[in-house]
Amino acid sequence: MAKVKAKDLRGKKKEELLKQLDELKTELQTLRVAKVTGGAAAKLAKIYTVRKSVARVLTVINQTQKENLRKFYRKKAFKPKDLRHKKTRALRRALTPYELKIKSKKEQRKQRLYPQRKLCQEF
Amino acid sequence: MAPKGKKPVPSKPAPKEVKKSAPPKASSGGVVKAKEKALKAKKNVVRGRHDKKNRKVRTSVHFRRPKTLKLPRNPKYPRKSVNRTNKLDQYALIKYPLTTESAMKKIEDNNTLVFIVDKRANKPMIKQAVKKLYNIDVAKVNTLIRPDCEKKAYVRLASDHDGLDVANKIGII
Repeated sequence: MAKVKAKDLRGKKKEELLKQLDELKTELQTLRVAKVTGGAAAKLAKIYTVRKSVARVLTVINQTQKENLRKFYRKKAFKPKDLRHKKTRALRRALTPYELKIKSKKEQRKQRLYPQRKLCQEF
Repeated sequence: MAPKGKKPVPSKPAPKEVKKSAPPKASSGGVVKAKEKALKAKKNVVRGRHDKKNRKVRTSVHFRRPKTLKLPRNPKYPRKSVNRTNKLDQYALIKYPLTTESAMKKIEDNNTLVFIVDKRANKPMIKQAVKKLYNIDVAKVNTLIRPDCEKKAYVRLASDHDGLDVANKIGII
């Protein structure tokens, strides 16, 4: 069987990927049976490659799925929680940049009237 | 004016003044009557009604919570973007068949196959998985957990299958 490459997998559609996944998994089953019944060394060595191929297919499936979901939710107001920024718990609960920026009328007035002066400037 | 502090009916200040000047206006009796009625309603709202005629009849000593509107869930966004796939599918469930001497004996004599399965598998799941993987009918499944923490499943095939043939097909023999 040809080597499974992620580059080739990314172009495929989901059904094709799932079908390939099925095929790989059945092959893995037969290889495991061969391992138990004392199969040839070639077969036993193949187990590793097939396992990694399965992992590759699953990675491509999940990556494209997540990417499409992110695209779908990009402009929306409410996103599912796993598509939001992870950051840290504290940062997520912190004030937003806008909330930090807003000033009361009183404070605005003060800043306008009494700005921070810079005295004794070096030339 | 309102001892209980209830908000008086808003549109009613006018009638009060009308009432004062009502007695001289004997000709517009109908209008006065309506205004009086409105005044009375206002008074009732403000003072509260204590009449005994329309009191609710309570047939039980207990006060039961009245049933209120319960709306079904209608989330604005799904909490998880995508549900988890089933990691314990048929391929992960059945690990490999056993090929020990006693397992071989079971294949020949009792028409059963012996598999090592995932510890989280249960009998109906094993039955389904074997059916799907090898396209055979299963009569029953017996399971046990080995001392090395692996689950062993004795899968008895239906009588129209031959254990030896199936084992050949799988590759056990």
